[in-house]
Amino acid sequence: MNILLCCSAGMSTSLLVTKMQKCAIEQGKQFNIWAVSGDSVHNHLNKADVLLLGPQVRFLLPQLKKLGEESGIPVEVINTVHYGTCNGTEVLKFAEKLVYQ
Amino acid sequence: MSKMNDFLENKVMPVAGRVAGQRHLQALRDGIILTMPLIIVGSLFLILGFLPIPGYSEFMANTFGDQWLSKLMYPVGATFDIMALIAAFGIAYRLAEKYGVDALSAGAISVAAFLLATPYEVSFTPEGATEAIMVGGAIPSALMGSKGLFVAMLIAMLSTEIYRFIIQKNIIIRMPDGVPPAVSKSFVALIPGFIVIAVIWVLRLLVEQTDFQSLHNIVGEVLGKPLGVLGGSLIGSLVAVFLIQLLWSCGLHGASIVGGVMGPIWLSAMDANRLAFQGGQELPNIFTQQFFDIFIYIGGSGATLALVFAMVLRARSKQLKQLGRLAIGPGLFNINEPVTFGMPIVMNPLMIVPFVLTPLAMVITTYIAMSTGLVGKPAGIAVPWTMPPIIGGYLAAGGKISGAILQLVNFALAFGIYYPFFRIWDKQKLSEEGGFETTTTSSGKVVNM
Repeated sequence: MNILLCCSAGMSTSLLVTKMQKCAIEQGKQFNIWAVSGDSVHNHLNKADVLLLGPQVRFLLPQLKKLGEESGIPVEVINTVHYGTCNGTEVLKFAEKLVYQ
Repeated sequence: MSKMNDFLENKVMPVAGRVAGQRHLQALRDGIILTMPLIIVGSLFLILGFLPIPGYSEFMANTFGDQWLSKLMYPVGATFDIMALIAAFGIAYRLAEKYGVDALSAGAISVAAFLLATPYEVSFTPEGATEAIMVGGAIPSALMGSKGLFVAMLIAMLSTEIYRFIIQKNIIIRMPDGVPPAVSKSFVALIPGFIVIAVIWVLRLLVEQTDFQSLHNIVGEVLGKPLGVLGGSLIGSLVAVFLIQLLWSCGLHGASIVGGVMGPIWLSAMDANRLAFQGGQELPNIFTQQFFDIFIYIGGSGATLALVFAMVLRARSKQLKQLGRLAIGPGLFNINEPVTFGMPIVMNPLMIVPFVLTPLAMVITTYIAMSTGLVGKPAGIAVPWTMPPIIGGYLAAGGKISGAILQLVNFALAFGIYYPFFRIWDKQKLSEEGGFETTTTSSGKVVNM
């Protein structure tokens, strides 16, 4: 599965990426997880199965949801508490739920 | 307290969302970002040219010859001095992308339109003469840099609006099937491109009939001056910081939203300082991009590094202790989402108070320190916002220890403002964890809470 994360500069989401990768490896999953900035997200959408937004850029949701629909992938905002505490396990679960539901 | 949350949720959030989602502001912000890597690279050379080490310039002159400094400044010119040109392309590109029309063509047309708005003249003082004469046939590099930034922004948006309007009205030359798509694409841009160039051309001809002589002069008079006053004043900066903090209090990226409006102003101010710094003159501006990135937002928006230190050193609740450990690494690089969302500060009426007050207080102290000459003003060196404190302050002030010291003073101030609020929140968390009856301090003494 390919999980794309996005925030303003792709910095703070990349913290979460590290945690999520660790969880995925622990669970024996071969996931590809990466983070990009808001203005370059469209270049990465075709490689992703799901797009998750940092809560600080949730104003981008309507716009990116439309892009997601075009590429047929779900787009959602990450829960603020999970985001703030860098809870890789929960965000990973969230991503899987979005893809498999 | 819940009234404040209601206000943030129902009044601030929707407005912020609309501003942030506004197409042109977004394009402005994303387009100008294109200049940032160049400017940071240019800054590296700028630092190398003015390293504040005794005997450095003599050493360089002996090793590389008398012309070493002007040669070292070549890359500085090629990066800073084409800021507006790159922005003209970037803004048009991003805007066209949002309209779903060919972004590359829109960018190219915008660059041509921007050059068309610029008179190809530079002033030149021949040897022995006292008065400068205007020499034609040269692109004035001054107007390609920060001085031309506002014109570039306006032209990029105007030309892209015309471009997409014509395309959406379907006034294009269609090629028969079998013509390679790359070829037919360039024909699509033909009519809209012609109309854009014609419009800007007529505009320039009209302006040349007036006393203003050029679009650059009009924009400088009408837009640049008032905006410069707004962005360059203490009040304007306090308002900007207040808005950034208020937006972050709702959990929205305030710096990136307000940056769409203020970014160009602070960028121009930065470049004006760079030119003065290079020329060894007094620096004209206090409020530049680095003023905020480096001296105010120590640890991220809200200057939360001090709060994180309080957590690491003094937290008694497990939650804040853990959060402190998690947040200190990114915090040293001015990334603070773990604190804002994890503590949380967002939508937390108690923590929003110091979160808004701290940076405002720091703007005032920093302004006083710089305007009285106690601390060096930002020297126009584009220190990236992720630069850790102390090093960041030292570099931003143009290699002055005073810049690093100011950061330490500001840090202490932030610690003082955050601390009482931190204590209340920590106590609350501790009681939630069930440790409210008695607790052990680090010295092992049992105290009653």
